[in-house]
Amino acid sequence: MDPLSLIRGVLDTTEDAARALVGRERLRLAVTGLSRAGKTVFLTSLIANLVAAGRGARTLPALDEAVGGRIRRVQVVPAGTETVPRFDPEAHLGALAADPPHWPERTEDFSTLSIAIDVERRTSLGGLLPDRRVTLDLLDYPGEWLLDLPMLRQDYASWSAATLTRLRRGARAEVARDFLAFIDALPGDAAAEDALAKRGYTLYRDALRACRDEHGLRFLQPGRFLNPGPRGEAPLLWFFPLPEGARGGLASLCARRYAAYLDDQRSNFLDPFFTRFHRQVVLVDVLGALHAGQEAFEDTAEALAAVAAVVSGGNWLERLLGAAPTRVAFAATKADHVPSRARDSLAALVEHIALGARGRAEAGGAATSFHALAAIRCTEDAVATLEGQAFAAVRGILLNEGRGATIYPGEVPMRPPEPAFWQSGFFRMPEFRPPRLDPAGASGVPHLGMDGLLAWLLGDAL
Amino acid sequence: MSAAPPPRVILEEPASAAQRLDFGWEVAVAPAAPIDRGWSSLGLAGLGLAVLLLGFSLLEAGNFVAAQFSQAAWLGWVTLAVAAAGFGLVFAAVGREMRGYLALGKVDAVRAAHARGDVVALRGALQDWQARLPEGRARAAGLADMPIDAACALVEATTLAPIARDAEALGRAAAIQAFAMTAVSPSPGLDVLVFSWRGIRLVRQVAALHGLRPGIAGTVALLRRVAMDAATVAATDVAVEAMLRGVLSSRIAEHVAGETAAGAVAARRMILLARAADEACRVLPRG
Ligand SMILES: Nc1nc2c(ncn2[C@@H]2O[C@H](COP(=O)(O)OP(=O)(O)OP(=O)(O)O)[C@@H](O)[C@H]2O)c(=O)[nH]1
Ligand SMILES: [Mg+2]
Repeated sequence: MDPLSLIRGVLDTTEDAARALVGRERLRLAVTGLSRAGKTVFLTSLIANLVAAGRGARTLPALDEAVGGRIRRVQVVPAGTETVPRFDPEAHLGALAADPPHWPERTEDFSTLSIAIDVERRTSLGGLLPDRRVTLDLLDYPGEWLLDLPMLRQDYASWSAATLTRLRRGARAEVARDFLAFIDALPGDAAAEDALAKRGYTLYRDALRACRDEHGLRFLQPGRFLNPGPRGEAPLLWFFPLPEGARGGLASLCARRYAAYLDDQRSNFLDPFFTRFHRQVVLVDVLGALHAGQEAFEDTAEALAAVAAVVSGGNWLERLLGAAPTRVAFAATKADHVPSRARDSLAALVEHIALGARGRAEAGGAATSFHALAAIRCTEDAVATLEGQAFAAVRGILLNEGRGATIYPGEVPMRPPEPAFWQSGFFRMPEFRPPRLDPAGASGVPHLGMDGLLAWLLGDAL
Repeated sequence: MSAAPPPRVILEEPASAAQRLDFGWEVAVAPAAPIDRGWSSLGLAGLGLAVLLLGFSLLEAGNFVAAQFSQAAWLGWVTLAVAAAGFGLVFAAVGREMRGYLALGKVDAVRAAHARGDVVALRGALQDWQARLPEGRARAAGLADMPIDAACALVEATTLAPIARDAEALGRAAAIQAFAMTAVSPSPGLDVLVFSWRGIRLVRQVAALHGLRPGIAGTVALLRRVAMDAATVAATDVAVEAMLRGVLSSRIAEHVAGETAAGAVAARRMILLARAADEACRVLPRG
């Protein structure tokens, strides 16, 4: 921790204390999740259901119970002069409710939103004092960028070594064949030619894309290669990992760009948004990882642990300053993809896939818990008859065809599956149409288990 | 373990588009209706007593008029006129009370529509409310064809904010009076009396700004609400403090302020009261 961030940490801590004193707390909630984990949908549902709950609707019964029904009002904090785009829950909800409905696009930039929750005070004298106001700060961003966080603790040489080791294994080796051939053919003292740098970058980026889209892998760095964001592809990105032996001009160019890239990500991403959190929720598409096969499953686990090392595991000083989250909830998203009796297994499985991440969080002094949730419930329970036997399944309307379908999601194991399990091969869960929704979201959106998660995560702070 | 078959998608047969799922969510989460406690037994007894009193006195009066007619026609007519005038006045008073009381209920209805996000009801209620405002108060135009949040913001800016400022002015005037009165009054007991009277008058004045003309029952209900809202108008409100300083820095105030801390307290209460009354009467919650 450098002196500057130490000073900032002290200032932030003082501000937190002052705010608590006058009943105007600010709670920063980190919603972390790899790409496609369901962050944008989660935030949309969270905001719609909280605002509806503030109007008296019973959208989040478990949260209501946890805070003894003291929630009085919930409102979106009006925009100030922020330079960061605003998260737009109405637009997302409108698109989900439209006919035909649309899920949010891949997120390509940051957006933030704060919601103010007015709660009655807990004490018996509370009636005489004005309500407390807890402001919840939320942030949405592209999931790919999250994996830039662990890079901040590596230099170019060690990052290259680790990345290339991973790239020469399993499914990666196959899709990265062209890139690996390219760097293996490069002379160790290759000159700083931009044509070479660009070529290497293009091959490397295409390999990352194929890993993500064809194999469901998640530990893919750097994040902006996959999702360049609003500024598009800049020369800053024209680098790639090089083997240890490389010493020439190209290697030092790549190293310079690597450092510049990290500087850029640090000042745009880590410092403003990812240094200080009070609560964290880690969203994991466990079922998607399970269906994508053993390698994707293990890769997801590894990526989660690497991110958790930065976000949830503060050092003692950060903990002292209250900069590390005190509660970290791990949640399996899209729980409506499995029948209700399999949801407990899903929550148990998330506990296993997040084992590394959990260790980091707990070493950082945070309490952890595990959940299964659907931010927007799109299915109902059904029965599928397969080979003459009845299996619990779900029924929903397919997004593109608009046709009803019963889906048997396979067995959901409670623990990382045995090798035999992976024989069944790759399965891609179809996307569903959301149920009928009110575009204005006056009564929130149907969900599964959001309230239990929020009760645990925020109950004590309200 | 390998007994479980692999995942599978089974398409439904009619290939035509299926209806989107409907979980009946709106109904499931609808806020529990406030329990209608109905009439308390005390209220029932009071109502019964009123019916008895009024009913029997009507019958009595009828009998009396009939008796007078049997004595002489002119005597009967005069008695009838007196009775009609008397009862007319009583009923007019009751009617006015009812209206005043109900107007306060309408404020609640608008606020409930706002809280529920019921756009149609809110728009209609806002327009009704505007029609009831006293003459000369600026009203927002074109509410009917405007997004509802814009309409609410416009009502706030054109009507509610000026009313709040007028209420503040009333509060300041009352504060100066209360301060002066406590400064010159001979006994603390008299202070309380004068203060209460001035406070009630202030609350009714503020209510009138909002187009409410509460009678006795209405005033009692209003005072109850003001007491409740006073808790939310923070006692440490900076605005109140600033205004108080404004009031007290007038010449006389400076002169006597040292001796009458009680006066400062009274003045401050008046300002708070004006704000709380405004809070209690406004159709839209303060943003
Ligand atoms: N059935 C169901 N599908 C969901 C749910 N949440 C997300 N999904 C699906 O998952 C997809 C991805 O969700 P997003 O919220 O956009 O994911 P994200 O984490 O924001 O992804 P990036 O922006 O790419 O990082 C959606 O398009 C939906 O198809 C859910 O609660 N139920
Ligand atoms: Mg997103």
